[in-house]
Amino acid sequence: GLCSLRVAGQGRSTPATCSPLCRCDEDGGADCSGKGLSTVPAGLSAFTYYLDLSMNNITELPANVFKNLPYLEELRLAGNDLVFIHPEALSGLYQLKVLMLQNNQLKTVPSAALKNLHALQSLRLDANHITVVPGDSFEGLQQLRHLWLDDNSLTEVPVGPLQHQGNLQALTLALNRITHIPDNAFANLSSLVVLHLHNNRIQEIGKNCFNGLDNLETLDLNFNNLKSFPEAIQTLPKLKELGFHSNNIAIIPEGAFHKNPLLRTVHLYDNPLSFVGRSAFQNLSDLHSLMLRGATLVQDFPSLTGTGNLESLTLTGTKIRAIPEDLCEDLSVLRTLDLSYNEIEELPSFQGCVSLQDVTVQHNRVQQIDRDTFQGLTSLRVLDLSRNQIKFIHRDAFLSLSALTNLDLSMNFLASVPTAGLNALNQLKLVGNPDMKNSLTAKSLPKLRSISVPYAYQCCAFMTCDSTHSSPESEEKRKDLGGDEEMERVPLVMHCSPSPGAFKPCAHLLGSWMIR
Amino acid sequence: STEVPPSCSSGCESCSEYNGCTKCRPRLFILLERSDIRQTGVCLATCPVGYYGIRNRDVNRCTQCKIENCADCFSRTFCAKCKEGLYSYSGRCYHSCPEGLTTVNATMEC
Repeated sequence: GLCSLRVAGQGRSTPATCSPLCRCDEDGGADCSGKGLSTVPAGLSAFTYYLDLSMNNITELPANVFKNLPYLEELRLAGNDLVFIHPEALSGLYQLKVLMLQNNQLKTVPSAALKNLHALQSLRLDANHITVVPGDSFEGLQQLRHLWLDDNSLTEVPVGPLQHQGNLQALTLALNRITHIPDNAFANLSSLVVLHLHNNRIQEIGKNCFNGLDNLETLDLNFNNLKSFPEAIQTLPKLKELGFHSNNIAIIPEGAFHKNPLLRTVHLYDNPLSFVGRSAFQNLSDLHSLMLRGATLVQDFPSLTGTGNLESLTLTGTKIRAIPEDLCEDLSVLRTLDLSYNEIEELPSFQGCVSLQDVTVQHNRVQQIDRDTFQGLTSLRVLDLSRNQIKFIHRDAFLSLSALTNLDLSMNFLASVPTAGLNALNQLKLVGNPDMKNSLTAKSLPKLRSISVPYAYQCCAFMTCDSTHSSPESEEKRKDLGGDEEMERVPLVMHCSPSPGAFKPCAHLLGSWMIR
Repeated sequence: STEVPPSCSSGCESCSEYNGCTKCRPRLFILLERSDIRQTGVCLATCPVGYYGIRNRDVNRCTQCKIENCADCFSRTFCAKCKEGLYSYSGRCYHSCPEGLTTVNATMEC
């Protein structure tokens, strides 16, 4: 329909035109997307600044097709079947800032057509079938800031075409077939902040391949075939986010990141790591999280001195047997610690890690818990010590764990468990401690809602639902339960397993609990 | 979910009555629109304002842009276009440029 557009300075509303196939707004926006169009509609207002032709069936752009739209700033042609763009198709679009050509059928970068787009800042060419990037592809684009070339069929980094792009800030070459990165591939991209290269086939990279990327902050090399640690990152002083998970890297060398002091996140899981240099993660004061999984041959706990802002540390699947005594000297803001599936025999005191909320040490060889192991951890909520060899827990070990809600001690060698301090506990797992035969008492676990115990009869202490109301029946029941000891108000326990039943009665037979 | 019944939206490979599109045609982004507890999948070549596309081997997803004062994200860590009146620097948006930097009003950059 017709829409009126007030032209600046003329004081009279000029009836702007709009193609019947589109919806136009008063500000010069025209939405012709998803209309089944095979050509660019005619009759659009000369003042159109935003034109959306996405999701149509346009296969070609002829010469001068937009010549009547000199004010166009954003042109969307995503999701068509574009195969050919005439060299003069985009002529006259001197104010175009955003050009979206993603999800089309282009086999090469339409370099001639792009030549005069001097104002262009964002160019999307992702999800085409581009195998060739002509040398002059981006020559005229001096204002280019963001370039998407991901999800195409490139087999190498377009070094030549990129070499004059001093203003480029964000580039993705992900999801292509790039196999290597030559030295100085991005030499003149001094403004580049983000570089995505994930999901390629990169096997090796030149030691100087990232030279010149003085301002790079994010580098994504995930899902490639890198065989060795990307030493080239040493020329990236401003790097903050680095990913090279899901590669074939076996060794993280000593001092791996010593030239990247601003690193915040490093993703390196799903690599067949066999060695991690002890000094690899030192002095990374901005590092927030570190996740090292499956470094099967690593025996030494990496030094974390100078890496004092770590909030999450995951170090699993190694041959580490000991944790440094001074681990918590530097880690006062550590919140989650996962040291499962190692070979740790002894736990140090985690006292300095005052912010710890979640500790998992399951599947190790820990044998005892001392008085000071978890002392002072008043924020700890979840503690998983399952699948160890714990025989002894000091009676005051949990004294300061006033916020602990989940405690898993299953599959150990415990005969008893101290409950002092566990006032907030609502889930306790003790199953798989065959030596723990005595009856447990619920009174020191006021908030308990779920417990798993080695033997069904131990659930009896927790299963009386209406025991808090004294009535003749419950008194009778209380005696039946061998309630020699004075049974005080028993909290309502929602779930206890294995629950007693016909063949696992609460009442003991013939004077011995042992006969079941 | 069912194979392509007539009711599937454009660009959709399989959909369900309740959740709309559950799988998009290759290379399109799936956007999960939420109304109350219901999520409805829609397939797009360009993610809407406030979202950016993440491409991966198996699925391409429209993901919410969470950079402060950003109108259009390039990625999780980089803003391609700041909200009106803000300056962009290194992929983030500023009311006034960081110390030591001058404003370029023509391109609203520092």
